[in-house]
Amino acid sequence: MKPGIYLIVFLLIIPFQASLLNPLSIAGIKPDLALALLYVIGLITGPIEAALVGMGIGLILDIGSASFIGVAGFTRGLAGLSASLLGRKVLDISSPSSGIFLAAFSLVEDICIALFLQLCYGEIPFFSLLASRIIPRAIYTGALGVALLHLLAGRNVLAALKRRDVQKEL
Amino acid sequence: MPGLIVKHKKLFFVFFLFTLLFWLVTVQVKNGRFSFIEKPVLYVSSFFERIITWTFTSVESVGSRYVFLVHAHGENERLKEEINRLQLDNAVMNELLIENERLRDALKFKGLNPLASITAQVIGKEMSPTSSTITINKGSGVGIEKDMAVITPAGVVGRVQAVLAGSSKVILLTDPGSTLAVRVQRNREEGLLEGKLVNCALKYVSYYADIQQGDLLVTSGLDGIYPKGLAVATVVKVTKREASAFQSVVAEPVVKFSRLEETLVFKK
Repeated sequence: MKPGIYLIVFLLIIPFQASLLNPLSIAGIKPDLALALLYVIGLITGPIEAALVGMGIGLILDIGSASFIGVAGFTRGLAGLSASLLGRKVLDISSPSSGIFLAAFSLVEDICIALFLQLCYGEIPFFSLLASRIIPRAIYTGALGVALLHLLAGRNVLAALKRRDVQKEL
Repeated sequence: MPGLIVKHKKLFFVFFLFTLLFWLVTVQVKNGRFSFIEKPVLYVSSFFERIITWTFTSVESVGSRYVFLVHAHGENERLKEEINRLQLDNAVMNELLIENERLRDALKFKGLNPLASITAQVIGKEMSPTSSTITINKGSGVGIEKDMAVITPAGVVGRVQAVLAGSSKVILLTDPGSTLAVRVQRNREEGLLEGKLVNCALKYVSYYADIQQGDLLVTSGLDGIYPKGLAVATVVKVTKREASAFQSVVAEPVVKFSRLEETLVFKK
């Protein structure tokens, strides 16, 4: 994809996540827009590009939050890489099954981070965190991803982007 | 080997970046969080957050203020503000009462001054599984500084982590990086409250201390950040283990962060 698009994503990801999604918040839980977007990018671009974009988005989120810088950079890089590798196997990326994959991505990433925090700080109520934040967020993110892919597929954006990327690779 | 690296240089570059990020995290675990390029990121994000919040607020106010309730809305806002102020006064009075009951010298008591605070609107909220922060629409332009206490009339919200001219990032009580000195309002037992994402943990409370479910924790003022006597959290679970010298106390913040819209920043 064009660097300009990535620049817009990098600039707007925190305000969109922190402010625009507020009306969608249910009991303080919001979908993870950055992960959903990264998943879409991963599905339509190559693994290296997706990993780099994932690291970039993750680093921006890390800097904007209060967590250690590099945690989301690392996990989002892996998420982008995995989504891209998955994108090569999936025939119809706009199918609802993508939502399940995305929810699984979110779940695995958040569980890894929670375990990491448990190691760093200790006494993190893991199961409470899982039930009250991680699982609802994963489901919500999966649903957002499906909506996003459906929207892009409906406007043929996805097919056009993927075609251009495949041509570039060839 | 060099040939292999040249052939797969992009792959090695990505692997190198992953290793670099991993190293960066391990360094911070040891030495604390880095805060480089925090301000430019906060500047850009708060700029857009302001626009988004302004848009939402404008649309909302057109609906509620001008179309439906012209006078009632203004009156409601004024009364809400008054209730908030009275609640804060009440919290201060309760503390003063307890102080007096223990026959301490009233003159030495440095009470809270609700006037020395700045009202700020929440323009961004992020409660992810890694951290809990909010962005407020006031910054150094009105005198906000790093590590100032952020509260609501109900109780403590957190402290300012980064400041720009027109906005600030606030670290919430539940963030794992947040710690504050508290005491149990009922019996003055002291401890350190640490954020645990979904709730907080009261640390370093002796095994023999009398802590009960429902006890209110208030700021002790010993950390030099939060004024003394503000409501912080309610004890929800107390566990005593024979092997440990300390009790394990879980507390829930009195402020509901998911419903947070406005805050007060205490000027030092």
